[in-house]
Amino acid sequence: MATTAPQVDTASAATAALRRIVGSQEAVLFLAICLLLVVVGGINPRYVAERNLESMLLGNAYIAVAAIGMSMLIISGNIDISVGSLIGVLATISGTLATAGYPIVVAWLVPLALSMLYMALVGAIVAYLRIPSIVVTLGMLSILKGGLISATGGTWISNLPAGYHLAQMQLLGLPMPVCFMVVLTAAAALWMRYSAAGRAVYAVGGNAEAARLAGISRERTLMMVFIVHGLFVGIASVLFATQLSIIQSTVPPNLELSIITASLVGGVSILGGTGTVIGSTLAAILIAAIGSSLIFVNISPYWLRAVQGILILLTVLADLMRRRRRAVRG
Amino acid sequence: MSAPALRPAPPAPWERMQAVLELQDISKSFPGVQALKGVGFDIGAGEVHALLGENGAGKSTLIKIMSGVHRPDAGSIRIDGREVSFASPLEAQRAGIATIYQELLLFPELTVAENIFLGHAPRTRFGAIDWGAMRRQAEQLLASLDIHDLDVGKIVGTLSVGNRQRVEIAKALSQNARILIMDEPTAALSEHDAGRLFDIVRLLRQRDVGIVYISHRLEEVFRLADRVTVFRDGEHVATKTVADTDCDDLIQMMVGRRIEQLFPKLTVPIGEPVLELKDITRRPATNGVSFTLRAGEILGLAGLVGAGRSELAQVIFGVTPADRGEIRIAGRPVAIRSPSAAKRHGIGYVPEDRGIQGLVRAMRLRENVSLAVLGKIARGPFIDRGAEARLAEDAIRRFGIRASGIAQIVNKLSGGNQQKVVLGKWLASEPRILILDEPTRGIDVSAKAEIHRLMSELAGRGLAILMISSELTEVMGMSDRILVMREGRIVAEFARGAATQERIAAAMMSGGEIAVQVGAAG
Amino acid sequence: MTGEARAVGQPLARLRGLAFRHEGVLLTILVAALGVLALQSDVFLTADNLLNQGRLMAEVGLVALPMTFVIVTGGIDLSVGSVLGLCAIVLGYSWKNLGLPLEGAIVVALATGTAAGFVNGWFITRVRVPPLIMTLATLALYRGLAEGISQAHSVRGYPDWFFVLGQGDVLGVPTQLWILLLALILCAVALARTTFGRALYAIGHNEVAARFSGIPVDRYKLAIYTFSGFMAGLAGCIFVSRVSTTRSDMGTGLELDAIAAVVLGGTSIFGGVGTIAGTAIGLVLIQLLKNGLALTGVKGDATIVVIGTVLILSILVTNFVQRRQEGDR
Repeated sequence: MATTAPQVDTASAATAALRRIVGSQEAVLFLAICLLLVVVGGINPRYVAERNLESMLLGNAYIAVAAIGMSMLIISGNIDISVGSLIGVLATISGTLATAGYPIVVAWLVPLALSMLYMALVGAIVAYLRIPSIVVTLGMLSILKGGLISATGGTWISNLPAGYHLAQMQLLGLPMPVCFMVVLTAAAALWMRYSAAGRAVYAVGGNAEAARLAGISRERTLMMVFIVHGLFVGIASVLFATQLSIIQSTVPPNLELSIITASLVGGVSILGGTGTVIGSTLAAILIAAIGSSLIFVNISPYWLRAVQGILILLTVLADLMRRRRRAVRG
Repeated sequence: MSAPALRPAPPAPWERMQAVLELQDISKSFPGVQALKGVGFDIGAGEVHALLGENGAGKSTLIKIMSGVHRPDAGSIRIDGREVSFASPLEAQRAGIATIYQELLLFPELTVAENIFLGHAPRTRFGAIDWGAMRRQAEQLLASLDIHDLDVGKIVGTLSVGNRQRVEIAKALSQNARILIMDEPTAALSEHDAGRLFDIVRLLRQRDVGIVYISHRLEEVFRLADRVTVFRDGEHVATKTVADTDCDDLIQMMVGRRIEQLFPKLTVPIGEPVLELKDITRRPATNGVSFTLRAGEILGLAGLVGAGRSELAQVIFGVTPADRGEIRIAGRPVAIRSPSAAKRHGIGYVPEDRGIQGLVRAMRLRENVSLAVLGKIARGPFIDRGAEARLAEDAIRRFGIRASGIAQIVNKLSGGNQQKVVLGKWLASEPRILILDEPTRGIDVSAKAEIHRLMSELAGRGLAILMISSELTEVMGMSDRILVMREGRIVAEFARGAATQERIAAAMMSGGEIAVQVGAAG
Repeated sequence: MTGEARAVGQPLARLRGLAFRHEGVLLTILVAALGVLALQSDVFLTADNLLNQGRLMAEVGLVALPMTFVIVTGGIDLSVGSVLGLCAIVLGYSWKNLGLPLEGAIVVALATGTAAGFVNGWFITRVRVPPLIMTLATLALYRGLAEGISQAHSVRGYPDWFFVLGQGDVLGVPTQLWILLLALILCAVALARTTFGRALYAIGHNEVAARFSGIPVDRYKLAIYTFSGFMAGLAGCIFVSRVSTTRSDMGTGLELDAIAAVVLGGTSIFGGVGTIAGTAIGLVLIQLLKNGLALTGVKGDATIVVIGTVLILSILVTNFVQRRQEGDR
């Protein structure tokens, strides 16, 4: 059989790779963000002013961080709708520790530990008891929400010590939340792409039976992904807590929905097995940009949630169609 | 044609050496059926050993035992002369036995290289995956199979079937497989891809990989294989070198048996056409099927697994409606786009997979029997439990169902009794046309006879029956006419007296003789 | 015939024992809970209080009925709370902003709910979007529409006759409780005694076999999701009538209450098992729990902690019991 010359192969491989990148969800999102900036910026130049862009990114960076863990979870075939309430609880705990006089580092790290423990519990119920994650987290959602309100009694935490506000600090001239967002996204993307554990998540989410035949344990992989998700939620909660000089007793309404939307719109398929964390971060930015843009073009921001819903629907439909087309072809 | 005399063949190279994998006296049974009865099989390094047999002959059971999915009830497995036992497929893999299944077990979202090395990727000193090494080794593997046009960075989901199969083969090699089992590898391939597969097989042979090759395409056996083994009814019939045999010989070994009539079929007056198919097509499994079915007639539909018989049944029954073509019921053209439409036109379908398609196993006998005729046992929208009970008791009596009562959960019934429940369900709908898909598979002899008796009785009352079966004795014993399907088409038709098992089998497989329209046309 | 009757009667009795085991346990718990709560507070066992609780649980109850159907078929509907909110807003908007007569506005609100449910069902059956995702998306979309249409304005000033629905009594019993009871009876009969109900159970156990038996699976699924939307719309009208105002955040969390009631009542999240009677008991139990907690001074928000715990525990228990009984999954 005639062999083709190696040089031609690398060239065609390169174009194939390029085509894959351009046609990907991540590229679409990036283009969408640019488009939005250009169009809305054209209508109202204050939209693209540095102050607005900064506040847009700052205020939503924690959503992107939480969406990293959520994406991993969805890739593995599960979901967590308690994350919003969890962030609220963790933020309150963090603030309480800080005002109670504990070292600030403790106030930053305890939420991470607690979050990982909590997720280990949820993960165990899902992995070993085989209860669907939607149901477990639906129940946890209300436990956490109610627990938060009754514990705090609705009061806010103020009198936070100086040096606590991580989110208001800067690193190398960039706001801390943005640094976290970028670094964590990159780290997570690398981990998911290049580590055996990260690939195992894709395998279990894509075809758990075949994964088992390849020697990958579904239970251990699920436990791991839940705990990692917990880590990211913990970090997000600290960013959320340290954003303002007070910690409210509630989180923004439907926070979990915003996080899940970011993951789904970011290209993570709800059927498991596909998607990247870079996509979810870009999507989080896009959604924040859309939300912000509504104000600048005089559309009531109350339409934001409707937009989120439509975005989810469109993304899911596109994903379904993509899968169906692939199935017919293959 | 008489069987050729067996000439002692000169010892082939692999016969002189010790077999890499040897199975002796293997027996295996499942509830209701003895799949393998003391069979033997061996394969040496660098040998292509074809395994032939009809559906149900025991080939896939043997493969599953070789690859560690099942454990034999009796007998021994030896690798390089040492006895082994596999507790799981993973152990068989580690022992060097790899299997390429028809449904490929790949991850569509990962790349070629990742799929090849999933679970055993090369690691760096620190334990992380060495992506560069993985890529290089993947490329080397593909190159060793003379595959130079597949980029290891491509996502598997975007690949063609042919390429995916090549990835599977590379995956098997990456695990240092010494024995590669291929189950119908060319079934889904184009001619071009099949040709490339043959080249790969030859390459592997040169590298001393032993290949167990299962295929119904006899021409492939003669092209690739060194030896061929034939199974029949769970027993080992013969093992010969390919040079010592020919098509007719193989077919004769596969199907030659005394035909025992399980139940003498009644001669029944055959009436008007009730079902006519013209050029029925539904991609990809049904490619222009036409036939006529008459009242009182039992039409047997023979063919290999994958020939498209169940798919055809599901097109007629409306589960997967036809893309093109015409269906006529009692002369009138109809459009059947759903099972409820099919039911309304008087068609009933006893499906192949009775556990998943035929019954709701968690429900009771009475509930299953009434499932297709809910309208009939209801007064208005309400279920008439008395009518339902009577229907169920009737079914128990009529079919001799052995159950503790109409409230029995059908999951607890034996295979034969479960099948009777499904039959009862569909007969309750008083169909004109009944499609039976493998009606006696996995059922003991006496239950089989009862079902055959029932079929004759129903035909006698004017029911038109389309019987899909892989058991040639059943097909020949029960059918008034026999159609043979292959690759989605009808390739042969036989009248009752004119068929022999060999002729039918030859039509079912490609590379054998194709007998067309033998005997009085229907 | 006697032999046959015995043969039929014995398994029937066993059947009854099995089917009602979960509900029987629930009833016992219910009675025990009643006792405990009565001891804790004198106000509890008064007719006034109990009837008021009945009033309060009507909205969840109405939505929990179709939710039972949906979960029995193995699906889920997370959008009911948002549909309720949307219909409440549509009611207010049609009346105040569009100037429709209130009767007309009510019809429009009900139609909106029905349409919302239909959209869910259509995508789930035709496009084959998993129910979880579809209703998660519509949870956002419908709530978003509610927020967008209302622009955070609330509508007040409804005519007095309207309040009979949510705040009035008929023969001493709150109006919505009558509606709930009626709906309950109809749904219970439908699920337990009709061919439709039987088909739903079959679909939940084994959708493939149901389809192969000629059951119009897609049509039935479309029907139950549409019904779910309608009931959420009805609950929305009652809610507005009860609190005399419309706000876009109404019904938030309703899905949790409804699913908790259904699951507590013995319906399996995997489908195929469940009764309306169980849902009813689950509903009452949860309402009493909320009431009892409130009467002993626990604030409203803490009660949802209990609901969440109850949901998880009841799923664990049902799952455990089911595994022991061994199905054919």
